[in-house]
Amino acid sequence: MKKLLFVIPLLLITLACGGPRVQSVEMPGPSPLVTFRIVFQAGAASDPAGKPGLAALTASMLAQGGTKDLSYDEIVNRMFPLATRVSSQVDKEMTTFTAVTHVDNLDEFYEIFRAMLLEPGWREEDLRRLRDEQINFLRVGLRGNNDEELGKEVLYQAIYEGHPYGWHNAGTVPGLESITMEDLRSFYEANYTQANLILGIAGGYPSEFLDRLNADLATLPEGTAAAAARPSPKDIEGIRVRMIEKNTRSVAYSLGFPIGVKRGDPDFIPLLVAQSYFGQHRTSVGHLYQRIRHERGLNYGDYAYIEYFPRGMFQFEPDPNLARPQQIFQIWIRPVEPETAHFTLRLTMYELNRLVNEGLSQEDFENARGYLSKYVNLLTKTKNAELGYAIDSQYYGIPDYNSYLKSGLAALTLDEVNDAVKEHLRADNLWIAVIARDCEALKAKFLSGDPSPMTYNSGKPAGILEEDKTVEKWEIPFTGASFEIIPEDRVFE
Amino acid sequence: MSRILVFFLLCAVLVSAQGPPQKAFPWEYDMHDFPNGLRLVTVPADFPNVVALYIVVSTGSRNEIEPGKSGFAHLFEHMMFRGTKRFPPAKYDQVIKEMGAARNAYTTDDRTVYHTTFSKEDLEKIMDVEADRFQNLEYPETVFRTESLAVLGEYNKNSQSPTRQLFEVLRDTAFDKHTYKHTTMGFLRDIKDMPNQYQYSLEFFDRWYRPEYTTIIVAGDVTVDGVRAIVDKYWSGWERGSYKVEVPAEPPQTGPRTGHIDWPSPTLPWIAIGFKGAAYSDTEKDQVTLDILSFLGFDASSDLYKKLVLEEQKVDIFGPSNPDRVDPQLFTILARVKNEADVPYVRDQVLAKLEEFKETPVDAQRLAGVKRHLRYSFALNLDNSEAIADILAPYMSLRRTPETINKVYALYDEVTAEDIQRVARKYFQEDSRTIVTLAGGSSQ
Repeated sequence: MKKLLFVIPLLLITLACGGPRVQSVEMPGPSPLVTFRIVFQAGAASDPAGKPGLAALTASMLAQGGTKDLSYDEIVNRMFPLATRVSSQVDKEMTTFTAVTHVDNLDEFYEIFRAMLLEPGWREEDLRRLRDEQINFLRVGLRGNNDEELGKEVLYQAIYEGHPYGWHNAGTVPGLESITMEDLRSFYEANYTQANLILGIAGGYPSEFLDRLNADLATLPEGTAAAAARPSPKDIEGIRVRMIEKNTRSVAYSLGFPIGVKRGDPDFIPLLVAQSYFGQHRTSVGHLYQRIRHERGLNYGDYAYIEYFPRGMFQFEPDPNLARPQQIFQIWIRPVEPETAHFTLRLTMYELNRLVNEGLSQEDFENARGYLSKYVNLLTKTKNAELGYAIDSQYYGIPDYNSYLKSGLAALTLDEVNDAVKEHLRADNLWIAVIARDCEALKAKFLSGDPSPMTYNSGKPAGILEEDKTVEKWEIPFTGASFEIIPEDRVFE
Repeated sequence: MSRILVFFLLCAVLVSAQGPPQKAFPWEYDMHDFPNGLRLVTVPADFPNVVALYIVVSTGSRNEIEPGKSGFAHLFEHMMFRGTKRFPPAKYDQVIKEMGAARNAYTTDDRTVYHTTFSKEDLEKIMDVEADRFQNLEYPETVFRTESLAVLGEYNKNSQSPTRQLFEVLRDTAFDKHTYKHTTMGFLRDIKDMPNQYQYSLEFFDRWYRPEYTTIIVAGDVTVDGVRAIVDKYWSGWERGSYKVEVPAEPPQTGPRTGHIDWPSPTLPWIAIGFKGAAYSDTEKDQVTLDILSFLGFDASSDLYKKLVLEEQKVDIFGPSNPDRVDPQLFTILARVKNEADVPYVRDQVLAKLEEFKETPVDAQRLAGVKRHLRYSFALNLDNSEAIADILAPYMSLRRTPETINKVYALYDEVTAEDIQRVARKYFQEDSRTIVTLAGGSSQ
């Protein structure tokens, strides 16, 4: 624990109401690098009606567009020798601008960064390019070329239909097509305010620099903090299946339902332990991975989540600053061969049932708790992540994540975990998103309830074969009304 | 060491008022060779508590010389997680659970890298487990057959990516004899046959998982003596092997080649324009010059990017690829074009730019800008122990010493406008060119 204090450098949090300084998380420290995370507490959930994608396009116009005085090309050329760039991330409740510069180049970089944030250029040619880019991301990057991430987003959209979280953070194609320059300016003026701002900065910056930064950000409109109250998502009745018909060689699944638990809630850490046991992201230690990939070779991996984790197929640790007041429980089954698709879904539901009904054993609990209490060190291994987590902790009103998790885990009992599982997890009333070819045939298989026996390319232990006899007949209570089949080209449209 | 002192040391190494840092790899390190051929590189870094262990085996898909065995280095990377007598998979996983370690592995053309990041108190335990699997890996055929299906699952998830397919066809078209003809995943036909290759897998382990092909990198909150003693304890009994590979040399290409992929579902068209490039070198300038040229001509800061992406907006993804490899790989320009009718135009623009490099010397200021960019982008990446080990790993497979980084960055500094003209004339010849396009149904 002594070491922990060493890890977390001086952390100053100043509140906006106290004086000229904006709300901030500051981590000065011994590094030749300076890391910025500038967060505005407004995101895709603030997209106005008919304009999904406005928050994301506004952020892109700042991060990848020109300023009042510089074209985007000029910005790229001036940043290139510094080897830095500004990136943006938009989630439902937060928009984040991130950059890292060498302290040698701090002034040169900041002059441009300041103008990008405070004096956007609003050029038509930037809008045309970035709108195209965002539409291509949805249509081609996600819908066309990435069944796994598509499956996850389809799941979120099904769960949040009719809710302010009901569209992808990048928006919809018609929404993006309808956005005008005036929309962008209005969104910027209304949401890029001091009240919404959390300034995150870390590294070897001089203290005078902070004064300059604060003075500049204080030129943003004061604004009023957006109320974060969001309606509850609709109840899910029974097993609902949204299938996306697509010419693809394998079948991708995502399953889930909303949970009333977020970071800082009493049941968050108990549920995190259960989730880690069941499906720790991209590791072989999770139960689902062991059962589906390791023992049976059905696919490349199988994981579970209690917080939004986009781009999981490209990264091992989640990005910070995706904080939300509402989360879902999600299972991610990586693509399986069509002939084992029915069995895999049954196995997934069988394991989810076991989790819900039996909970964790003492040994599972000790393992997952031990794992998480060390793994948390790795989540904040970069300054950028440390800063991001600190900002999220401020959002959720918890101490720094490392101490929050370690102290919570130390005091945790198995009963608390299993009570949380009983209370918040379930194996009925959930959505299943499926990306597959010939969805009608797959639906018919699901509905028939016929056994889906497995044959393996190698001998299996008797225990697995015996268990398969149960799994191959596992009843998932589908009804004809459970299913929607949507052609690929209607997603995000 | 106090934090303040560390700060000033870092500043002394990395920060200079005159310009970018002078020594590209700024960390003090220790390099030690054990009698069995194993090499250890230790980088004590003052990022507290965390340690990164990277074990680099100089074996990748380049070593897959036998027909029908493409993808085997990668499959073998999977097998390395299948346990030993002392640590069968369940026990191995138990150890990892107790340590809360992040561990994974990757394979590429010239190397397979096993990496674990963990808290410093677990260093000895991790070394014990890792040394055991490198020396005593043992798995039955049933397990081998199951794991080979996970590789098929990996191919399935990758098969959605047009760029993966593009590079698969580009290599297959461009190369005739060299093993760079196939990607690290391997050909689908070979992946499907993997379950039947148990015996070969044992031979593969025997050939390549040997100390003389292996470099251990430890970066983080450690001491040189502490690490060396632990490595000595667990790894010095590992026996040296005798196998040597003769990777077939690629004969000179004798004419331009093309390929096309019909994508089965809607997507935007792609074009990849490849030329046979140069091998990695920290003494000869060709590869570093091609690197600099790739930035000058085709990076987001280039005139052509400005024209195609920002002004005309005919292209939405555009950039070069010039990987550092043991043998000459492909220098490639990749573009995603918004309208299929513009693909020939984009191709001609790229080819014209390459011709321009042969005839017109590049602007001195722009050349200096690229060199500055390379220095700073390297420095900006070194911000944690895992990143240090990760950046060292490829260089260990190429030259087995961190010093190669300083040499290669010094070489970048020496590149002149004349060098750029020279390499452009040498490498961008029609006879060594391969162009592959990809197009699918309408994405609208």
